[in-house]
Amino acid sequence: MVQYVLRRLVVAVPMLLGAMSIVFFAMRVLPGDPCVAMMGDQATTEALADCTKHLGLNRPLAVQYVDYLWRSVQFDFGSSLRQGYPVSEYIARMFPHTLVLVMASAIVAALVGIPIGIVSALKRRNPLIDYPLRIFALLGLSMPVFWLGILLLIAFSLRLNLFPLIGGGDLDGVIHMIRTGEVFSNPADFLAAVGDVLHHLALPALALGFTLAATVSRLSRSAMLEVISQDYIRTARAKGRDEWAVVYKHALRNMMVPLLTIIGLFVAIALTGTVVTETVFTRPGLGKMLVDAIGARDYPLAQGGITVFTVIIITVNLVVDMLYAVVDPRVTYK
Amino acid sequence: MAIVRDATVPELTAAGAFQEAPSRPLGRTLRRYAPIGIGVVMALAMVVIAAGAPLIAPLSPSAQFADAVLKGPGAVERHALGTDEFGRDLLSRIIWGARVSLQVGLASVIFGFGLGVPLGILAGVQGGRIETCIMRGADMLMAFPTLLLALIIVTALGGTLPNEILAIGVALTPNFVRLARGLALTIREQDYIVAARALGSGQLRVMARHVFPNALYALVVVATLYIATAIRTEATLSFLGFGIPPPTPSWGNILSEGRQYIKCCMWITTFSGLAIMLAVLAFNLVGDALRDLLDPRLRGE
Repeated sequence: MVQYVLRRLVVAVPMLLGAMSIVFFAMRVLPGDPCVAMMGDQATTEALADCTKHLGLNRPLAVQYVDYLWRSVQFDFGSSLRQGYPVSEYIARMFPHTLVLVMASAIVAALVGIPIGIVSALKRRNPLIDYPLRIFALLGLSMPVFWLGILLLIAFSLRLNLFPLIGGGDLDGVIHMIRTGEVFSNPADFLAAVGDVLHHLALPALALGFTLAATVSRLSRSAMLEVISQDYIRTARAKGRDEWAVVYKHALRNMMVPLLTIIGLFVAIALTGTVVTETVFTRPGLGKMLVDAIGARDYPLAQGGITVFTVIIITVNLVVDMLYAVVDPRVTYK
Repeated sequence: MAIVRDATVPELTAAGAFQEAPSRPLGRTLRRYAPIGIGVVMALAMVVIAAGAPLIAPLSPSAQFADAVLKGPGAVERHALGTDEFGRDLLSRIIWGARVSLQVGLASVIFGFGLGVPLGILAGVQGGRIETCIMRGADMLMAFPTLLLALIIVTALGGTLPNEILAIGVALTPNFVRLARGLALTIREQDYIVAARALGSGQLRVMARHVFPNALYALVVVATLYIATAIRTEATLSFLGFGIPPPTPSWGNILSEGRQYIKCCMWITTFSGLAIMLAVLAFNLVGDALRDLLDPRLRGE
């Protein structure tokens, strides 16, 4: 077991390094000199030279590379080229918004997708139930997130005026209140702030969650189907166990392993989804920050953002691998 | 005396040779082949529209009609789906946009397939250090979400059609590598491979003539599904502003431009989004149906 854990860790580290290196070189390959971008093309050569030296861009590539790696490990990603503030601070501020969005969409996707997948698997012989569910899954899979988001905005925000068009709500306020303990001294305000956050979260979470629900429902369906065809299910049925017990006690429990895969995949897909969702709903968050940074050639910000993204994905996959070993010890024997 | 055949019990046809052809219940055939039929028709329609855009589009996608700015669908006779903020016909723009989406979708998958499958088969059949090398590279690329990788590459190279194809193609390559290697690992244990080797076939011959054709079924299914992914990714890139720059119409940038007008004129975003969804749906249907047909064991999915 310990061996398994160590083996997975050993594999993860070079992957992380490799991903970070790809980020570094990709940024350097991008055309456009950040100094020119910042100062405009009327800037004097000395000003440009100063800027380059200040940003450390005139050092040999190898030196920049090692420096980048060393500092990244300490979470020091430098300062944003456009606005000067430290990247790690900015990322730390944006992170909760994205985290909240991913969690909310995860809940929506799980609540909608898993039951649909299971029912679809169990009732697959009944075309009346199976077909609509499969169509739902296909539609969700094919609908672009940004389109669904815009449609939701049109329907619920513009026409019905139920939800706000932009913004992320007072999440900073919520966090501040939790930190300073005001949660207890001022519960009313806290609840109001939480309510605000949820209000802004509803539509984006629905949009992202629905699209993810389609994938989740398909994966649950195949996971369930695989489990259902196993012999122990037939035995349980033959023993006369009622269908509910069969499903709950045997099928669901054994679905855990494939379900973990779903969670692992889910995080990667959800993170990518936040890029678009945050843009459509004009929410603050890592995704939007990243896209803006890449577009503006803001190297440190873009690097920091991509690194954080990949670290999260690799870490989640690592944790999922560990959980596999916990849930199904046979995995460690490979 | 005609025996009514039950299509699922072929043993009953012991004296079969002289009986009539079995009459399959029409409903069952329809139901079974409907999805692939619909999907194929839709996909073909998309390809035809994309290829024949200059002939099919009623108007030029860049022609601006000053008297028909932001008109709804059908409000003006010649603009079936309405116009955008410059008075350009939406239907024509969407038809031309199909060109971009389908070109990128198909070409990037062909690229990824052409690059990834040989590498994957090589890794699977050769094993050893070559395999480790190739797989490490693929894993590193796979740590990036497809969209992000494509985004970085497209930003690095610039937003043109070939660059988009390259970007999405490269982003899809590791998926093909992984899949092809997995298939190669299974196939190389088969008896016919051993036989081929015993007959003196070299590695290359084994890979090309034996492993590849047998892996083709699964690869084609996945490739079709990836076409859907590629179309979606291209639309997302264009929507975010990283794809083909305007005024060239692409579904993503039509949607993005229309976004400013959702308060008054939602048809721009609605129809372009619908186009994206239909294209992605078409290839998903075909891919799914192919999978059901070619591998009955997986039919449950």
